[in-house]
Amino acid sequence: MVIFGVLRSGLYSLTSVGLALAVGVVGIVNFAHGEFLMLGAFLGYWLFFSYGLDPLAAIPIGAAVVFLLGAGVYRLGIQRVLRAPELNQMLLTFGISIFLQNLAIILWGGDPRVATVSYKASAVSLGALTVGVPQLVVFALAMALTLALYAVLGGTRIGKAMRAVAQNRLGASLLGIEVDRIYLLAFGLSTALAGTAGMMITLQLSVSPFIGLLYTLKAFAIIVIAGLGNINGVIYASLVLGLSEAFVEFYVPQGGGWAEGVFFFLILLVLLVRPRGLFR
Amino acid sequence: MTGRTLGRALVGAAIAAAVLLPLAFQGTQPYYLQLAINVLISATLALSWDLLARTGQLSLAHAAFYGLGAYTSVLLTTRAGVPVLLGMAAGALVASAAAVLLGFLTLRLRGIYFAIATLAFSETLRVITNQLPFTGRATGLIAPALLGGQRAAQYLVILVILVVLVIVSGWINRSRWHFAFTAIRTNEEVAAVIGVDVVRFKVLAFAISACFAGVVGAYYAHVFLFISPLEVYSLAVSVGALVAPIFGGLYTTAGPLIGAVVLRAGEELLRSTVGGGYPIIYGFLLAVVILYMPRGLAGLWSAASARLFRRRPLREARAG
Repeated sequence: MVIFGVLRSGLYSLTSVGLALAVGVVGIVNFAHGEFLMLGAFLGYWLFFSYGLDPLAAIPIGAAVVFLLGAGVYRLGIQRVLRAPELNQMLLTFGISIFLQNLAIILWGGDPRVATVSYKASAVSLGALTVGVPQLVVFALAMALTLALYAVLGGTRIGKAMRAVAQNRLGASLLGIEVDRIYLLAFGLSTALAGTAGMMITLQLSVSPFIGLLYTLKAFAIIVIAGLGNINGVIYASLVLGLSEAFVEFYVPQGGGWAEGVFFFLILLVLLVRPRGLFR
Repeated sequence: MTGRTLGRALVGAAIAAAVLLPLAFQGTQPYYLQLAINVLISATLALSWDLLARTGQLSLAHAAFYGLGAYTSVLLTTRAGVPVLLGMAAGALVASAAAVLLGFLTLRLRGIYFAIATLAFSETLRVITNQLPFTGRATGLIAPALLGGQRAAQYLVILVILVVLVIVSGWINRSRWHFAFTAIRTNEEVAAVIGVDVVRFKVLAFAISACFAGVVGAYYAHVFLFISPLEVYSLAVSVGALVAPIFGGLYTTAGPLIGAVVLRAGEELLRSTVGGGYPIIYGFLLAVVILYMPRGLAGLWSAASARLFRRRPLREARAG
């Protein structure tokens, strides 16, 4: 059970670290985050179906495409509301989310699709446990990417610039950092991370226009647990969510259905008891 | 009779005619009566959402109250043999009670935190309804018909509900409540300092708003005769309730109504042309309104009339 919880948290942390980046650096709570994930998933499916490209191998392509999409959305919309009231920002991204979801329905229809990769059903045994290969690969890759992002933020010039902008927009611009470009980059990166997570989902689950919202909400739960804008807490918060979902699935009767509600319950609980988040 | 009152009388007459028209055609064109019922459901949801928004609480929990009203009423009428109208009243009560609870819980949350918490509340209710043994779970429940299923009479019921809501909304915007709501929305701390009972007004607004959402949810159940968790607790319900006022013009009585009518008409049009993805209009308009017309249709109108008649848009300016 612990293993399942941990494995699941890899994808969660990759998805949420992107949202945390948008919240932390750009200051935008992006309700459309899951929609970029959905687009990534469709892209992965399409590349696999038409060109036989393995979704994992196609990740660079997918990430680049979703990055450009995200950058476009930033230029056309987000950029104009950076100084608007918080609620306007939220409503705008909410509108974008509804728009993208229904656009996907119009373009591709609402039926779920499945990409059947050759190793989809294969499994390896870890000690006494048997674990699916796709789950294991996705977990490793997602964690690696999340940690890579931490390294970028911590070590490189661009990462430091992002953190500087996150701390103080004016101060950073006085130091000669091009704030607007950093925002564009951070937002694009944030959506690209979601898109990457989406391509990984192609590997394990079915793809449909409706998957976005669920992941937006789960990512919200995670960044709320971590504390809004706290990028470093995301991994721990993902573990909390993944483990508690697995726990409910295993120990509560009809747990599959109740597990759906775990993250909402966690959001409510954390917001009411400790709105600053658990991990700071 | 001054020009202003004459204008009002004309507008009133036009509204009355538009409202009674579907009844005149019910024999030959039942579709329009059905459409009119849908429009009035949307309008009631939108205006009741706006009442809450006037205290600065932009909620994503309207579907929760809608669903609670629907489930309460359907369970009472099918399991306990309660008459439908009484069931609807009970639905409104239960929704209000839940709103008071949520109102107290979220009292200290602002902006985005409030929105996320209300969304979580609504989705939690959906999951619970999906799991409980007596709610029909994901399959849903069949509901008894309101007033024996006569469409015309049902239409009058939702019309009466909406008229009551319009009166309540108009009264709020004319009474001392208006100042209390606006003060809380603008700056809660200052409002408290100048003696506004912030807690009382916020929770009251929640209760009134949810009461109407609940009764409409119950009405929906007994008119469409079937409910399921996915449908009545759907985020689409909350979205519809929120986009219409934002599009039409927030914090006014007319704005949410006009917004609901326009949106519903657009939705109907898209439904017949593109099919599945018709809610795209909600997303598109929401984005456009936020980016280009922050005060909605009502704002456009007051700006236009100010330019035309060279007078300052006083009433709307106060609302914005």
